[in-house]
Amino acid sequence: MLQYFDPRQCSNPEIDYGTPSAQGVLVSLTIDGRTIEVPEGTSIMRAAMLAEIKIPKLCATDSLEAFGSCRLCLVQIEGRRGLPSSCTTPVEQGLVVQTYNPRLALVRRNVMELYISDHPLDCLTCPANGNCELQDVAGEVGLRAVRYGFEGENHLAAERDTSHPYFSFDASKCIVCSRCVRACEEVQGTFALTIDGRGFDSKVAAGQDESFFDSDCVSCGACVQACPTATLMEKTVIEQGQPEHSVITTCAYCGVGCAFKAELKGDQVVRMVPYKGGAANQGHSCVKGRFAFGYATHKERVTTPMIRDSIDASWQKVSWDEATTFAANRIRQIQQEYGSDSVGGITSSRCTNEETYLVQKLVRAAFGNNNVDTCARVCHSPTGYGLKATLGESAGTQAFDSVEQADVIMVIGANPTDAHPVFASRLKRRLRAGAQLIVADPRRIDLVSGPHVQAGHHLKLLPGTNVALINALAHVIIDEDLQDQRFIDARCDLEAFARWRAFISEPRNAPEALSAALGVPAETLRSAARVYAKAGNAAIYYGLGVTEHSQGSTMVMGIANLAMLTGNLGREGVGVNPLRGQNNVQGACDMGSFPHELPGYRHVSDDQVRQVFEASWGVSIGAEPGLRIPNMLDGAISGTYKGLYCQGEDIAQSDPNTHHVEAALRNLDCLIVQDIFLNETAKYAHVFFPGASFLEKDGTFTNAERRISPVRRVMQPLSGKADWEATMAFSNALGYPMAYQHPSEIMAEIASLTPTFSGVSYQRLDQEGSLQWPCNDAAPSGTPTMHVDQFVRGKGYFERTEFIETEEKVNRRFPFLLTTGRILSQYNVGAQTRRTANIGWHEQDLLEIHPHDAENLGINDLDAVQVASRAGETVLTALITDRVQPGVVYTTFHHPESGANVVTTDNSDWATNCPEYKVTAVHLKKVERPSDWQTEHRAFTETQVSLLTQATKRALDETA
Amino acid sequence: MMDQELTHLIKMTNQIAAHCAPGEPSSVAADRAANHLTRFWAPSMRFQIKGYLLEDGSLLDDIAKDAVSRLA
Repeated sequence: MLQYFDPRQCSNPEIDYGTPSAQGVLVSLTIDGRTIEVPEGTSIMRAAMLAEIKIPKLCATDSLEAFGSCRLCLVQIEGRRGLPSSCTTPVEQGLVVQTYNPRLALVRRNVMELYISDHPLDCLTCPANGNCELQDVAGEVGLRAVRYGFEGENHLAAERDTSHPYFSFDASKCIVCSRCVRACEEVQGTFALTIDGRGFDSKVAAGQDESFFDSDCVSCGACVQACPTATLMEKTVIEQGQPEHSVITTCAYCGVGCAFKAELKGDQVVRMVPYKGGAANQGHSCVKGRFAFGYATHKERVTTPMIRDSIDASWQKVSWDEATTFAANRIRQIQQEYGSDSVGGITSSRCTNEETYLVQKLVRAAFGNNNVDTCARVCHSPTGYGLKATLGESAGTQAFDSVEQADVIMVIGANPTDAHPVFASRLKRRLRAGAQLIVADPRRIDLVSGPHVQAGHHLKLLPGTNVALINALAHVIIDEDLQDQRFIDARCDLEAFARWRAFISEPRNAPEALSAALGVPAETLRSAARVYAKAGNAAIYYGLGVTEHSQGSTMVMGIANLAMLTGNLGREGVGVNPLRGQNNVQGACDMGSFPHELPGYRHVSDDQVRQVFEASWGVSIGAEPGLRIPNMLDGAISGTYKGLYCQGEDIAQSDPNTHHVEAALRNLDCLIVQDIFLNETAKYAHVFFPGASFLEKDGTFTNAERRISPVRRVMQPLSGKADWEATMAFSNALGYPMAYQHPSEIMAEIASLTPTFSGVSYQRLDQEGSLQWPCNDAAPSGTPTMHVDQFVRGKGYFERTEFIETEEKVNRRFPFLLTTGRILSQYNVGAQTRRTANIGWHEQDLLEIHPHDAENLGINDLDAVQVASRAGETVLTALITDRVQPGVVYTTFHHPESGANVVTTDNSDWATNCPEYKVTAVHLKKVERPSDWQTEHRAFTETQVSLLTQATKRALDETA
Repeated sequence: MMDQELTHLIKMTNQIAAHCAPGEPSSVAADRAANHLTRFWAPSMRFQIKGYLLEDGSLLDDIAKDAVSRLA
């Protein structure tokens, strides 16, 4: 007898089992004479598929609950009347099922005949040809003729909706199976699609019967994925035809780390399809990963190495050899003149683990100092600091799966539906199943109130008061004796707890005392604290609204305190979960990109650790920390720091106080930028190494749940070198030899030097699909949940979290608080998404302003508004909305010309220098023209683009 | 005018002194701040702030002064 223990991860992701897996006691039944055992709750359809018996179906697919509308999957059950649909009929002990007999065949053929009587018979020219379930099923049931003719009333002339940039909706091909509608509801949770009308008039409609582009569709692609016909079809497939092969890889956008099947013709990506076997996304995707990959072959890609003597000179296109030699000579000259520490590097959170590892190795071994940092400095460095101090490891505690067990979910300073959409869909699914939601955010993010999702508490705190919030919540839990004392006694440092308890119990930490500062009623705070403490499994998810503050590290420690206090760590459904912004921000941190840490978060002052690396690398490594990005920029301005190797980061756009960054970059004697585009930073560069997109290289990314996933090359690097090869060439030119033949060799070196990675290899990644670190002898299959029996640091440590107000305060001159964030269609500095059709959803960054404030200032929608801070001023277009509260304005930073960071200050987190992007006191004024900075920026950009064009022309002339 | 780098270092030192052990006796706070500076600041930064304390130091808060004076 065949036995199927059928958890999701054991099924074959290439097979559609028709309905989702179930968990329960095993029951046995007989299907077509074969006896099998499957978990209770499994459908007969799935049981049959597990036994490799395929029942024809149209409305069923295993990403969706059974619906039972198409009437093709009918079966006959011994002793039962009629022909039940196998998708909606659960297995029972002892059932005897027939999936095929003459009666069933006749019924199925008749049903299929009805479908086809209202379906265009243009199969040969249909874009779904070769990949159409309707066509397949017609073949399976043996349909040979349609007796009804096509003259009757039909939908064959239904209008096509081509409004969406990435897919078309051809209603004439729709069989109204509702898979798209259900995918939008069940998988994505947006409820943008519906079946409009009844009976024969039933049709799929987007929004309020709008076009797809104008509707509230979020373009996740779940409907396209679910469609069994050509009704919803990628435009690339319509244009290019069905792909002929595919490669499984990992998305290079956010920190969710979705697995995708890159489907190709030759080396051209036809479409990216979310991979059902991906543990992080389980077959779901968002508009960025699913559709916005066209940047990889955009005409503005720079694919030749370039050099120039000064930033006013035109670029010279040269060979890799010339470029790396030029760069190496300059770096060595600088070091001779200004000392060994006058240069450094920045590793990229967009590149692979292997590539970031190589850059920090190059800095430490070839530059000979610890001046290496990464863009995590400006996003999640407080997470590393705060979680290490309290729990002992600089990473989130859970797998994404954990959210399915949560009873209450607290989202602090994160906007998952925009910034981590695929995780947001899983979170919303859990909320629809009954989990409670607390949102702490100054702004009304979409999660606060949406279709079938309503936050029980929206703590609309003022920017800059996070620590007051977390203290008030913790105070209530102690005050009302809601803490998990058994957990604390068993797992935490009791001396530290006693000190912390005395502190947090002080009346000044009570909600009643902090309510005014927070702008949240005391009773609301108390009620939220009770919900968090009492609900059972409570999980905290947080983002940059926590870290990007002067007290970012303190807030992270406060969050860890709250979780320890209530025993919400060390099992599924709970935890402290930083939502990472970039695809590999976790990995970049893991790989030793910080100036004080070697790979695996080990301090450079640790002699034993250093010796291990020194023995492997054959150099001596400094025991003192190096410079962080802001320190490098300060050194550049004061003239002690002269050379920078910047891999895939755009500090001129992404870092705060643009005036300061630009002044620093202009002061460098040698700026080497490695990127796929001439980004804002590259406009100040002397050497340009053309980078490779994620499609052009092998490697690994590590997502927010510590999951190491493979990145696989689907096309040759356009520049001839993947980024790891470029770094190797540069290192070799510097005289420090590197000779890896493949990134797997780099991973082998990482594994040999880093205890938390010792079980990681490409072979194991190929076998397992992905691995969550720590992965070593103690945890050979990886570690989905951390701190299970004890904390990594031993005893959990309650850090005292004093609320100290930021220096960035409103006053009469700067009466508003500006806070910043992201939008779904765009990604960070926008270098990629702006170069795709996603731009249609966000042509410019807007300044959100409350109607009351707008009225007082005489500002109307779409007016130009000057936003001035102590650091600088810019001009943005107004959007009047009550999403923001009075006194607070908000913008995104996806377009360089917006200059959001001209306004942000150089205030930073006390422990890590993570900039305080989220709080800037500003003055607002209606104006008629752009700011001086914007005018200068435009002129500078024009100059730099013409210097690039001249290089392109000269190269063409030379080849002619 | 004081250079921007030193201005930042002074501000950061005061911030660290204020945040790293609030509520603890000042000598404990100074010790922890000194430890923080040792673990996270490059030697060149520590050298500059030490120099500033010797020359002037007036913009450093008391705990910050104490912390900087404890640096090796």
